[in-house]
Amino acid sequence: MSYYISSVLIVTCVDLIAAWGLDLQFGSAGINNFAFIVFAAAGAYTASVVSLGSSSALGGFQSYVGGSHWPFPLPILAGMAVAGLLAAAVGAVALRRLRGDYEAIVLLVLSLIATGVAQAEIGLVNGPAGLSLIPKPLVTGLGLSSLQYQWVYLGWCAFLTALVFLFLRRIVRSPFGRNLRAVRDNEAAAAAGGRNVFALRMQAFVIGGVLAGLSGAVLVEFVNAWAPGSWLYPETFALLTAVIVGGRANLGGVAIGTILVPILFLEVTRFLPSIGYPGLIDSLEWVVIGLLTLIFMYWRPQGIFPERRRRFPSRSSGAIGSGALLSSRSAFSASLAAPAGSSHVAKSTAAPE
Amino acid sequence: MNDVLVVEDLVCSFGGVRAVDGVTFTCKGGQITGLIGPNGAGKTTVLNAIAAAVHLSRGSIKWEGQELAGLSTYQVARRGIARTFQISNVFEHLTVLENLLQGAPPGRADSLRGALFGARAARRWEAQQVEKARELLSRCGLAEHEDQYAGELSGGQKRLVEISRSLMSDARFLLLDEPMAGVNPTLGEQIAEYLRELVSGGNLSMLMVEHEMAVVSELCSNVVVMAQGSVLMEGTMEDVQRDQRVRDAYLVG
Repeated sequence: MSYYISSVLIVTCVDLIAAWGLDLQFGSAGINNFAFIVFAAAGAYTASVVSLGSSSALGGFQSYVGGSHWPFPLPILAGMAVAGLLAAAVGAVALRRLRGDYEAIVLLVLSLIATGVAQAEIGLVNGPAGLSLIPKPLVTGLGLSSLQYQWVYLGWCAFLTALVFLFLRRIVRSPFGRNLRAVRDNEAAAAAGGRNVFALRMQAFVIGGVLAGLSGAVLVEFVNAWAPGSWLYPETFALLTAVIVGGRANLGGVAIGTILVPILFLEVTRFLPSIGYPGLIDSLEWVVIGLLTLIFMYWRPQGIFPERRRRFPSRSSGAIGSGALLSSRSAFSASLAAPAGSSHVAKSTAAPE
Repeated sequence: MNDVLVVEDLVCSFGGVRAVDGVTFTCKGGQITGLIGPNGAGKTTVLNAIAAAVHLSRGSIKWEGQELAGLSTYQVARRGIARTFQISNVFEHLTVLENLLQGAPPGRADSLRGALFGARAARRWEAQQVEKARELLSRCGLAEHEDQYAGELSGGQKRLVEISRSLMSDARFLLLDEPMAGVNPTLGEQIAEYLRELVSGGNLSMLMVEHEMAVVSELCSNVVVMAQGSVLMEGTMEDVQRDQRVRDAYLVG
């Protein structure tokens, strides 16, 4: 049981990092990144091949490009770097002219193509079978039992999650974060205010990509295997649903959404008695995730915890310069007190334009 | 007064249709120049061309002697030319105060680098801008709405937010696209008063597209009349109202 709990918590950390990364792109900057999981996969594959060693080492049963024995934590950093570079390359094409539905379609197709290429090109990352026996970092050096190792790894994941949280909180609360939300709300007006819309969208896209790479790399070092089946396009929608249910552009809300949707919901169903043919429950899960997105988009597009309203202290309060410039009501009370008009307004933009 | 904006032989074509066909006029400093004409005359396209929101097929736009043609929207904005839109273009999910902050000139403080490595400087910068924004908001009577989402305001209030936002940048030229459209008369009066007060300082000039002739004759010292993509005439409002060609253009539509 302790093994199970620690595993679930580790996956929670991984999903939190990913969902926050997606939220920066989708919630703050308004980029419909339906290919998010591809960047996580790029991070995972990169971390794998730079820690697996030469492809002929284990009898050559799997083939892949590259192959080295980089020490911890270099594989993770490499995964982040490659995912970030991939995001820069994809963004340079996809973010320049495309918007809304078209942007979403192109990125969704990119996700499908990426899966196709990884499966067909066996020499790249071992095709449909995927990579396995990816070493756990520092497992020999620490000399821990496998259960102890689980908890240590959880600590490492929690540390990374906290870092990502602090990093993103800094971004979303800054004037830069407001620029992203302005671009999301109204590009023409943002450009008329002297903001370079393409550059801002690219920055959000690359940061989100790097975080996707981090989540993939941390996950692969934990599960020790990675195959195209682990990163099919629906995985992006599980994260997107977490963001929509929790509340776009609200880090706390997205965290709740992540715990509710990809973690609690997908884990609870494991304990249901099996009904029908094998795999029926797994398939129904995706149906329910799709339904959840629809239900929230229709009735509560702002999510359980809506974006916080930024207030600035008045001059008389003397808070200027004290570091408490940005005060915001708790999201919960804001959601209760929001006038009827505001939920209508939220509805109008949450729908894809 | 000297010429601050000189538009010469401007042509904008969209798939073979010449929306603007060889337009030439000048705007003088410290004044509001009116741009009028029947629907479809190409007035908004001229505004869009100056703001680099549409591509020019030919022609030149000189702002204080410098060529603007070929720049992107944000580069034009950074040279001190701000604009408002025909359909009001506020950031609906940003508060009124935040909307104004988005008009502040971009710099290191609102960049990614500023967010990560210069948080303290960014906060100081923001505090200054907040003060400036509050001043503008109290000037146009929106002070108590600063925490409201801009999407919750009325059409006229959104227009005031837009005009105030464009003033955050210390812009020296404003492009106004029908500032009175869909605004109730009382608020319209307030906007007109606000615009008059702004140009009276002498540092700000404007080019205003407007259908409300009373507003144009009240505010604009010089009027450019367009019809079917070209300039019909340029002169004072009295000249324009006497001109037979202008009457014909409006009747033909």
